[in-house]
Amino acid sequence: MSAQPSPANSARDAIVALQTRFEKTGYISNDSIATAVYLSQQLDKPVLVEGPPGVGKTELARATAEILEKDLIRLQCYEGLDEGKALYEWQYGKQLLYTQVLKEKLGDLMQGAEGLKASIDRLHEFDDTFFNEEFLEPRPLLKALWSDGGSVLLIDEIDKSDQEFEAFLLEILQDYQVSIPEIGTIAAKHRPIVFLTSNNTRELGDALKRRCIHLYIPFPDAKLEQRIVESRAPEVDAALRTQLVTFVQALRELDLKKVPAVSETIDWARALLLLHSNSLDAALVRETLNLLLKFQDDIDAVNSEIPTLVRTAQKSV
Amino acid sequence: MLPVLTDFIRALRASNVRVSPAETMDAAAAIEVTGFADKALLRDALSQVLAKSPLEKADFEACFERFFTFEESSLDSKEQPATDLDTAPSQAPDTSQTQTPGGGEGDGQSLLEMLNAGDTASLEMAISNAASEVGVSNIRLFTQRGVFTRRILEELGIDAVEDALFGRSEIEDIDLDRLRAARDSLFEDVRNLVDRQLVLYASNAWPELREEILEKVPLARVEQRDFRFMQQLVRKLAKRLVALYSRRRRVARRGQLDVRGTIRKNIEYDGLMFDLVWRRTKVDRPKVIAVCDVSGSVANVARFLLMFLYSITEVIPNVRAFAFSNDIGEVTTLFETKPVEEAINQALFDHGRGSTDYGTALAGLANLTLDDIDHRTTVLILGDARSNYGDPGHAALRKIHERARRVLWLNPEPKSFWNTGDSEMRRLGSACDRVEVCRSIKHLERLVSELLRTAI
Repeated sequence: MSAQPSPANSARDAIVALQTRFEKTGYISNDSIATAVYLSQQLDKPVLVEGPPGVGKTELARATAEILEKDLIRLQCYEGLDEGKALYEWQYGKQLLYTQVLKEKLGDLMQGAEGLKASIDRLHEFDDTFFNEEFLEPRPLLKALWSDGGSVLLIDEIDKSDQEFEAFLLEILQDYQVSIPEIGTIAAKHRPIVFLTSNNTRELGDALKRRCIHLYIPFPDAKLEQRIVESRAPEVDAALRTQLVTFVQALRELDLKKVPAVSETIDWARALLLLHSNSLDAALVRETLNLLLKFQDDIDAVNSEIPTLVRTAQKSV
Repeated sequence: MLPVLTDFIRALRASNVRVSPAETMDAAAAIEVTGFADKALLRDALSQVLAKSPLEKADFEACFERFFTFEESSLDSKEQPATDLDTAPSQAPDTSQTQTPGGGEGDGQSLLEMLNAGDTASLEMAISNAASEVGVSNIRLFTQRGVFTRRILEELGIDAVEDALFGRSEIEDIDLDRLRAARDSLFEDVRNLVDRQLVLYASNAWPELREEILEKVPLARVEQRDFRFMQQLVRKLAKRLVALYSRRRRVARRGQLDVRGTIRKNIEYDGLMFDLVWRRTKVDRPKVIAVCDVSGSVANVARFLLMFLYSITEVIPNVRAFAFSNDIGEVTTLFETKPVEEAINQALFDHGRGSTDYGTALAGLANLTLDDIDHRTTVLILGDARSNYGDPGHAALRKIHERARRVLWLNPEPKSFWNTGDSEMRRLGSACDRVEVCRSIKHLERLVSELLRTAI
């Protein structure tokens, strides 16, 4: 540590730089998000992003790919996802076709070979023809390992996949390599930056968590959310922005089946813009509430509270 | 700097954050990158590397604050002598000498000197050295406070000071009153240090012990003051079980070829069988109907059974819950809408009055649920099977048994009490797949775990 005079300062500078670069792409981050991305680059470790739906987990990977100018390779997980769809598959059709072609050439090849043994020996010279990288159909994971100049690999909603798939990922996450039985081990040309996202529909395995940097993104506070809305819907004027963010933040305090996410705040802001409204009022909120709340029960529950909520929102400006 | 990290990790483990050795190494690598100077940065980085769930993150924050506020103050005091090169090296050998018995005299002198001179900086350093020498981070229980305080003081060489105070020393030019005051404040400092360490390393030891005991105690004998704690325990248990089993699973049966599946999958290869498909069994989420006796005879246990039912309905989707003493009533919606305490009280109030009548209750259950019971349903009945010499209702239960995947009876009484007096366990048991004793949280956990694992 004495070799580097002040690791804290240089790290802090790098993180602040990351944040400004994120901001240029339109992704407003906070300290802990930028720290996680910085650490994952420094320690060569994947980032596991958890948090409620709609706080920008997937968006983080997209923004990272953009600022690093790398390809974003996305693998959407679902129940029943297996390595054939995630890693690689043999191109059986192509192999069959080549066999047919080869059959015709076989006579030429065998010319001059005396007896069975000689023929077999000659055939052995070609043994790996069908199981090499030529016939491999790369799926997202293999693509990420093969990509020139590195890439950003997003494994989205890992909690939706099966436990077996989670275990299968461990090799890639730790050593950035995969084993294909017919060929051997394929290591990454350039280590990809890996993001895994999870909505916590089930508890992930300890083994997976251990290999990752764990980033939890909660709902943003009012200040951050205003900046996000400002960057995503710049045409909304400041007074309305403050009002609607205050309103949404108050909604999140209520007991609802599903509280509005950041992406829904942005949608709402855009909708209000289309309706040419400059400030919130109860009638307007009542009409557009279905953009924020997606359950009829929630809408009914909030309905009676609207006047109070709107009043506090108006006062906040 | 690594000793600081290992101490911190020990403190983390003590406050419920699970940290593996691999993660410790990650943390060391992270510290290489971030350094110690920027506290917010250090906290963010370590939290991401070490704490891997929202719950653990909260524990981490608290522990980090406790640990590093203390650590900072001692670091500050360490830096002071470090700038003053003359004192720093002379301190270190002094404290290490105390390990050898012969060095006691010189060390006592130096403690005396320090106290005399009021040199707080080197004093603090000596204390923290002595503390690590004694291994104060091994402290587990608050009863150990005195022992550790005394050991640290001895390590510092308090004996010489005491000798001087009681006039047994040859040194003459000492202001006794000032020395006494200094000694008292030294006591105070050391005691504070030990207290801080106790909070840091042992904050979780007591709850853990309590948890362990309560898990084994018969439910009927849990006392009122432990209710809240039990509630947490039950919740934790339900969550753990559900995290393990709530997903639909497929089990491949190697060896049994799925011919139709194979043909379908290989059409694209001209019908050549490249990819074999094996038969699979889908293990479904269990569909559970849980029935709980809440009459007077099982009043104590009923609370916990209801609590457990409540936790289960919170986390598994397909649970219908019923409560009865004579008339049966569904409490599913009650559990879904009300907070736990209120829901349980309401259930006990609605259904808990009157004497037990298993006949009416089970007939009522058959009436309410028979249409909903199919080959995937597990029926779980919690009760003591004491029917006040009335109809035990085994006929109704048999009807349910014929339809359901299985019927499980959990009895809170010890086995030796079954079939005594008005207990109808034998007759009712004949219409169940299994009858089990369920007296403590441990029993409950094992039974439900089994239930969920084998639910097909």
